[in-house]
Amino acid sequence: MQHALILLGVLIAGMGLSVEAGLLGPLGEQVGHLSATLSIFLVGGLLLSLALVFSPNPKVATLFRQPRWLLTGGLLGPFYVIVLTLATPIVGVGMTMVGILCGQVAASLALDHFGWLGSECRGVDSYRVLALVMILAALWLM
Amino acid sequence: MFLPIIFVLLLVGGAILAAQSSINGRLGANTGVIESAWLTFVMGALLTFLLMFFFEPVQEATLFSVPKWQLTGALFGVVYMLAIVFAVPRVGTAAATVAVISGQLLMSLLIDHFGWFDNAQRPLDVSRYIAMALLIGAIGLIYLSHQQRQRRLVSQPSECTEAAVDPKP
Repeated sequence: MQHALILLGVLIAGMGLSVEAGLLGPLGEQVGHLSATLSIFLVGGLLLSLALVFSPNPKVATLFRQPRWLLTGGLLGPFYVIVLTLATPIVGVGMTMVGILCGQVAASLALDHFGWLGSECRGVDSYRVLALVMILAALWLM
Repeated sequence: MFLPIIFVLLLVGGAILAAQSSINGRLGANTGVIESAWLTFVMGALLTFLLMFFFEPVQEATLFSVPKWQLTGALFGVVYMLAIVFAVPRVGTAAATVAVISGQLLMSLLIDHFGWFDNAQRPLDVSRYIAMALLIGAIGLIYLSHQQRQRRLVSQPSECTEAAVDPKP
């Protein structure tokens, strides 16, 4: 019962990601795609800065003791958000989300297979290959 | 003629998201979820500010002149992150991943169907219903794949660590 409630919450949170994309598309058309992307990172960054200041045991210093390549995730995020604002007005939110999912599943297979970015010791698993084929078919149908 | 470019962009965007999840999962495990999410958003803001400052063509509307509800997108990203942080230790990555993808796809099709938030209307038709059935199958397979991975981790706990929580913008 508790599990079901938590999963319902996660499902609603996932719906929020599509709402985010649905808001970004029209916003980007009006104020420009880069400005729309900035709004996401600016508001999120400021909110998280507040959260960090008031979090019980902030460990910001440990960030800079990590190997530098581990800190590059933040440079990749903007590309994803810019793609969202560019694509949704042209192909719609549904196709945008399915396309992103397709790239994600394909890349996670490659990451696992070649052991890139520190994700190692897994072969290609047939479930995900089949899932990828079905997602591609869905993308073609939409 | 735009379409093929958009397709490539979407696939690359998804691939980049997967790479980011992998990196941030590792970073989050080493430092902390709030710390890694903070770094992700702050670096994203710096980079997009620079891009916007130098490359954005001048627009009539600005972020300060549009209705405020259009600026609330970031809140959904932050809420998503908190939900994942709370849920993953309790229900596992397999179930959480499936719930996220299901919610995401369901809502995206609803937004298209009704044209919410000033989006163009793209009604559900037969081919979209077939696509939905295929996606449900794919989600089931993704669940099985995660479960299989979990079992392998339990049976032989080796040096490979399950990526913790990936903050996604």
